[in-house]
Amino acid sequence: MKFSYNWIRELVEDLDCSPAALEKLITMKTAECEGIERSGELLERACAARVESVEPIPGSHNVKAAVDAGRYGRVTVVCGAPNCRVGIVTAYAPVGKKVIDGIESDGMLASGAELGVNRDHAGIIEIDSQVGAPLAGCLPDSVLEIDNKSITHRPDLWGHLGMAREVAAILGRKLKDPVRLDLLPEGPAAVDIQIEDLTLCPRYSALVFDNVTVRPSPLWLQSRMTAIGLNPINNIVDMTNFIMAELAQPMHAFDADLLHGDTIFIRPAAPGERYVALNDEEYTLNPANLVIADAAGAIALGGVIGGQRSAIGEKTRRVVLESANFQASSIRKTSSAIKLRTDASMRFEKAQDPANTIRGLARAIELLHEIAPGMRLVGGVADQMREIPPPPPIRLPLDWLERKLGRSIEPAEVRRILESLEFGVAQPEPRVFSVTVPSWRATKDVSIKDDLVEEVGRMVGYDSIAPTAPLVAAAVPPGNPERAFQHQVRGIFADQGFTEVYNYSFIGEEDARAFGFDPAAHVRVSNPIASDQVLLRMSLLPGIRKNILENSKHRESFRLFEIGVEIHRRAEGLPDEIPHLMAVLYDRQGDGAAGLAEIRRAAECLMPGAQASPAEARPYEHPVRSAAILWRGETVGRAFELHPSLVESGRAAVLDLDLRLVRALSAGDLKYAPIRRYPSSAFDLSVVAAPRECVGDLQSAMASFAGPLLDSIEFVRQYSGPPLEAGQKSVSFRLTVGSPERTLSSEEAGEIRARIIDGMRARGYELRL
Amino acid sequence: MLEESIQELESGSLARIASATSLEDLETVRVQVLGRKGALDQFFKQMGKLAPDERARAGKVLNGAKQTLEAALESAKRQFAEAALRIRLDGEWLDPSIPAPGPRRGHLHPITHIQRELEEVFRSLGFAVLDGPEVETEYRNFDALNIPADHPARDAQDTFWLANGDLLRTHTSPVQVRGMERLGPPLRMIAPGRVFRNESVDASHEHTFYQIEGMMIDRGVSVAHLLYFMRIMLAEVFRREVNVRLRPGFFPFVEPGFELDIQCLLCNGAGCPVCKQSGWVEQLGCGMVHPNVLRMSGIDPEEWSGFAFGLGLTRLVMMRYAIDDIRHLQGGDLRFLEQF
Ligand SMILES: [Zn+2]
Repeated sequence: MKFSYNWIRELVEDLDCSPAALEKLITMKTAECEGIERSGELLERACAARVESVEPIPGSHNVKAAVDAGRYGRVTVVCGAPNCRVGIVTAYAPVGKKVIDGIESDGMLASGAELGVNRDHAGIIEIDSQVGAPLAGCLPDSVLEIDNKSITHRPDLWGHLGMAREVAAILGRKLKDPVRLDLLPEGPAAVDIQIEDLTLCPRYSALVFDNVTVRPSPLWLQSRMTAIGLNPINNIVDMTNFIMAELAQPMHAFDADLLHGDTIFIRPAAPGERYVALNDEEYTLNPANLVIADAAGAIALGGVIGGQRSAIGEKTRRVVLESANFQASSIRKTSSAIKLRTDASMRFEKAQDPANTIRGLARAIELLHEIAPGMRLVGGVADQMREIPPPPPIRLPLDWLERKLGRSIEPAEVRRILESLEFGVAQPEPRVFSVTVPSWRATKDVSIKDDLVEEVGRMVGYDSIAPTAPLVAAAVPPGNPERAFQHQVRGIFADQGFTEVYNYSFIGEEDARAFGFDPAAHVRVSNPIASDQVLLRMSLLPGIRKNILENSKHRESFRLFEIGVEIHRRAEGLPDEIPHLMAVLYDRQGDGAAGLAEIRRAAECLMPGAQASPAEARPYEHPVRSAAILWRGETVGRAFELHPSLVESGRAAVLDLDLRLVRALSAGDLKYAPIRRYPSSAFDLSVVAAPRECVGDLQSAMASFAGPLLDSIEFVRQYSGPPLEAGQKSVSFRLTVGSPERTLSSEEAGEIRARIIDGMRARGYELRL
Repeated sequence: MLEESIQELESGSLARIASATSLEDLETVRVQVLGRKGALDQFFKQMGKLAPDERARAGKVLNGAKQTLEAALESAKRQFAEAALRIRLDGEWLDPSIPAPGPRRGHLHPITHIQRELEEVFRSLGFAVLDGPEVETEYRNFDALNIPADHPARDAQDTFWLANGDLLRTHTSPVQVRGMERLGPPLRMIAPGRVFRNESVDASHEHTFYQIEGMMIDRGVSVAHLLYFMRIMLAEVFRREVNVRLRPGFFPFVEPGFELDIQCLLCNGAGCPVCKQSGWVEQLGCGMVHPNVLRMSGIDPEEWSGFAFGLGLTRLVMMRYAIDDIRHLQGGDLRFLEQF
């Protein structure tokens, strides 16, 4: 929202604060100011001038003009405007001498756009003024840009008067209300208003004007509109925009001669009702949209945009001027449903003050007298409204206010601040105020005592509050074991050489299919930004694979990992978000075997004693290089080689762990076991097995025969080749046996060994002794 | 006579020890001089023939010569051993500049670094670290935070909606609601986490970024307390004293709401391009918890009050490391990530 400094100065008595100082005050006490723009700088020195003669310049589209520039004397100006002709009265600006087309040009003749008066840059401006006179009512201005987000809760700040009230309160000046309600005509109105639902439209006021001449606005009005970023259109439309920008009251003018009947209906749209708006778009409406209608149909989409059928044009003579109030949420719904936000809808959705409708009409009367001379009022004010009882006063205990702010403040100071913002203040009991909220703050903004803390706090200045440590009981905060565990996992994997990545929670349907996931099983985003961000990931793998493909362009080998949630749909309630670790080890060289071994070793750093056992490969896994990871009796994840068709440049070993399971198994108290006092004895055994027989299976079979005195069994090596037959391998283990109570005799150790040999032979294994 | 011969043998043998070039040379000397049938032994045998007083004197000389030669031999042997060790060790020279084999330590993500720092700061101040899900209900993300369905504040948070009406959380604030529901007052908590906004990605905008939400609820919590915590938190974050200021800001779940600025750390408030000459840099949004929010979570606003703040973690990370393109953070490029 742009605010004109000149405009604010008109509304605040004796405003002597520079725009830059004002910007700072507003930012600190009211709303965030994002900067100041200068507007119409040329106007400072510009004056009306007449072109006396024009000579063409050979080989140039410019002309050489002799100009009577009033107090600047007679000057020669090189001008490129097509309308530079003898006799034209235009604006001259003394911007210095410069040689153009070989001719010394002294100053310039300016277009409306160059002057900042309007947006016309087709030619130099044509004005109706005394030569040498300044451009009436047009002054350079400073425009303060206020961040819209910082005023969403302040309906009153969507107009200059609201901001001027803040400025007056901040500086202790008087506010000048530009509205003269005494201008409103008495008597029966020339139009009837019928509001179907007074909740959706709490108030609708209108006035009829006759003998209107539609034409460009005077320059002062055009330049005012231009300064705050609005496009001057004609005197009637500019007038409605002016009032909107001043009072935050959006208005709309209908050409009365284009309306059917004398009644204006405010009603829900009929299902499928079609409506062509001023922006030339046709909208198909439904009963959730509120329309303004005449006997023949919709003439405006209430509070959002006017209709083409009744638009003001050159031929307009009679005008119905609407000044209405609409329910904020209804406007917001309609405007977002049809994806159209207008200056009007933006204001109405902040909950405007219903008391403002007739104030807008009163201001319009005053303006129209000036900008549409000859205009006549027809009838009195048409005004339909719901009785809106004033909100009850707010009880403000001053001790509570001080506690909340964390500083003391004199009651007189509180009163002064609230009254400067036009709150009513009474004191029904000691140290308690009863505060009445002005209508323009009462629609949504201020309703509870906490809201008044802000009014007092910002005006007294938050910088007057000294930071203070609270007096609270010392307590150890509740822990977050899941997060602590994830941090621990991060540390372990980083120590093992893996670098952490963060990937998006989104994947595309194509991503899902590439891995054999069913897109329909995923949680789906209804309004995705892009087609590759439609689904929420049920696996970290699609993101990790992208990381592999990207980084393999620059690196021979690398390790990376991510900790993130898999999002799984549930029949009811929010999805299940399961924290996972996915670590990957990529190598362009080699056959991938070393990578898989290394990733299992990394897994063991997190889970000592974890084992891997062959698992049926999933579509994205190497068909014979896939294993389940088991720890403490539970399957906690998988280790596999990514299917070589998914990463063609090298081999990628992947570890995928369900961290919720791993953490559950990590918990539990450790207890010390005494160190063995008696020596143990060790012996080696080698088993002959088929090539794809797993070492782990052989090992657990041997352990099962060994009995309780087995201390450990370790894989030593495996071997194939002579003297073994083809299709055989020999796997060697070292077994250690012992007892916590005594030293085993060699006979006892021998018995265990024999038991294992017999057991294995019974299973059909040959042992090499 | 005998004494002279002994002295002759002694000096001759010392000369041979001194000129020995190997352990074998020394051994030869030892055998010939000190050995069981060596030259000294011959002298001992001759001593028997001497008169007693002569014998005593010669014995003394002889023993002296023996000790001298034994010591000389021992010392010469040690020198040979030391030299041999020196030679052996010298052969074991290694090039220490050859890089050590094996993987290097990996790197944690920059967001992880800063997030953990902040978790530490707040835990040490008695704040619990809470988590919430990425997918949230509309109720917790908006309604329970005093942002009803048609509130214009929803515009500021372009939302990713899910088919069943749930959404991807647009801020970490719903964890406030979870914290109040779970822990009740008094409460001190922070919630770092991933949030989502439906906007297109460019160098300074992301649809996925990180925030830290914080909240304190107790009896008599004031704006002065909020200022205190913000100042010490930011001093930790920026590792130096910071000046902060509050100005009005609007967030529906707090009243009053503030924008908190810190005095520009580059120019110390004098004005520079980074702070747009204002001397201040916008840092975070905060405020006193709105009574509606307390009430919706079953907390009596007449008894309890609190403050809440929300800090853009991603932005902080970018400031700390001078990262100029937000897309790096979720780009997975090791050339970027390995710098942290
Ligand atoms: Zn600065």
